[in-house]
Amino acid sequence: RRTGEALRAFHAAIRSSPGHSRNAALKEQAQGTMLKVLTSFKSSEIEQAVNSLDRNGVDLLMKYIYKGFEKPTENSSAILLQWHEKALAVGGLGSIIRVLTARKTV
Amino acid sequence: MAYHSFLLEPISCHAWNKDRTQIALCPNNHEVHIYRKDGAKWSKVHELKEHNGQVTGIDWAPESNRLVTCGTDRNAYVWTLKGNVWKPTLVILRINRAARCVKWSPKENKFAVGSGSRLISICYFEQENDWWVCKHIKKPIRSTVLSLDWHPNNVLLAAGSCDFKCRIFSAYIKEVEERPSPTPWGSKMPFGELMFESSSSCGWVHSICFSASGSRVAWVSHDSTLCLADAGKKMAVASLCTETLPLLAVTFITENSLVAAGHDCCPMLFTYEESQGVLTFGGKLDVPKQSSQRGLTARERFQNLDKKASSDTANASLDTLHKNSISQISVLAGGKDKCSQFCTTGMDGGMSIWDVKSLESALKDLKIK
Repeated sequence: RRTGEALRAFHAAIRSSPGHSRNAALKEQAQGTMLKVLTSFKSSEIEQAVNSLDRNGVDLLMKYIYKGFEKPTENSSAILLQWHEKALAVGGLGSIIRVLTARKTV
Repeated sequence: MAYHSFLLEPISCHAWNKDRTQIALCPNNHEVHIYRKDGAKWSKVHELKEHNGQVTGIDWAPESNRLVTCGTDRNAYVWTLKGNVWKPTLVILRINRAARCVKWSPKENKFAVGSGSRLISICYFEQENDWWVCKHIKKPIRSTVLSLDWHPNNVLLAAGSCDFKCRIFSAYIKEVEERPSPTPWGSKMPFGELMFESSSSCGWVHSICFSASGSRVAWVSHDSTLCLADAGKKMAVASLCTETLPLLAVTFITENSLVAAGHDCCPMLFTYEESQGVLTFGGKLDVPKQSSQRGLTARERFQNLDKKASSDTANASLDTLHKNSISQISVLAGGKDKCSQFCTTGMDGGMSIWDVKSLESALKDLKIK
């Protein structure tokens, strides 16, 4: 059940990402929500969550991971690195390239 | 596959003559060197020295056997073979930034040069003055033009730019040709007319290519994407976010299949599914043979420890033929609709010739449509 909730929250956060917004406050809120969701996952559940995403979802996840790296909290980097490893396995280096080249950030 | 190491430095650009016995390349300097095939060897037969800056583009017209080169010195030269000497003719491009790419038109009566001046120079020969003149296509290009490719009708020109867009322009020159008939890209083609413009991807467009029929155009961008616009589907664009490092060169090998290569040092196959309007990755074309697994000698272990601070047996060097990024792909045989052989050159100074039939038999999962 708890797994199911985390996964649902994850998909909701991905879906409702304010991709093209210029509203800084809105984006910051979305980043915070996403970080909370990502850190709520158990290490063993991460791979399944990543595999449930489509190509655009993986690219979006990678953008949030790097955004999370930018403002590290107490334990965030450790869990983000685990997400990074799984996202990289699916998205490849191309997904990281697109984090660097994106003009609209998350 | 046949791999030949020409240089220790990058091959900036290359072009083949009609019967593929000679290759002209820029060895990362201001010159163009022409090599001729001598059995299994390559011998340098000419050195073309005229440019004052790096040569960024070379194209060899198959029928008229003329070479055109362009460089960072803001110039282009048309070279004609007189006896055994290549004689250059300067072409004034009227640009104030480096020229970056050059392509002869299919009928070889014009050539186009893309430059950092954010415009394309369309050059043609004016008989009365015995002189090459040029017209500019400027709007709405906002940055350096990195790549060009002509449509088979000799009028339409696709251009990839650093402003992240792929565009198709009309480069109709009334002085040298008849009015073109309508194409799926449009009917009215006055000089400079914008026939198609892609919506922004997020990367410099490194390479662009028309399919053999001209009804499709594909391009690769620095954001690791491959895109294709299909005029037969109202110019709908299919794009693929690849898992690779950015691709730098792309070409059609059939009407539905593309080969692209770039910073991963390996050519890859991509397929366009027309019915669904989708691009898919078809596999890497450079699959190294399984190297024999042998243990390291004590000496090699110590060397590894000394050099890399690790006694890891894993091979740290590249398994691919090219040991550095591939920057250009050219079709050698079969044309863009039934390509049987293509060539890659790269920053490792090497040139490789790939045989499509051999690839199909060696890589069992490969499906070229």
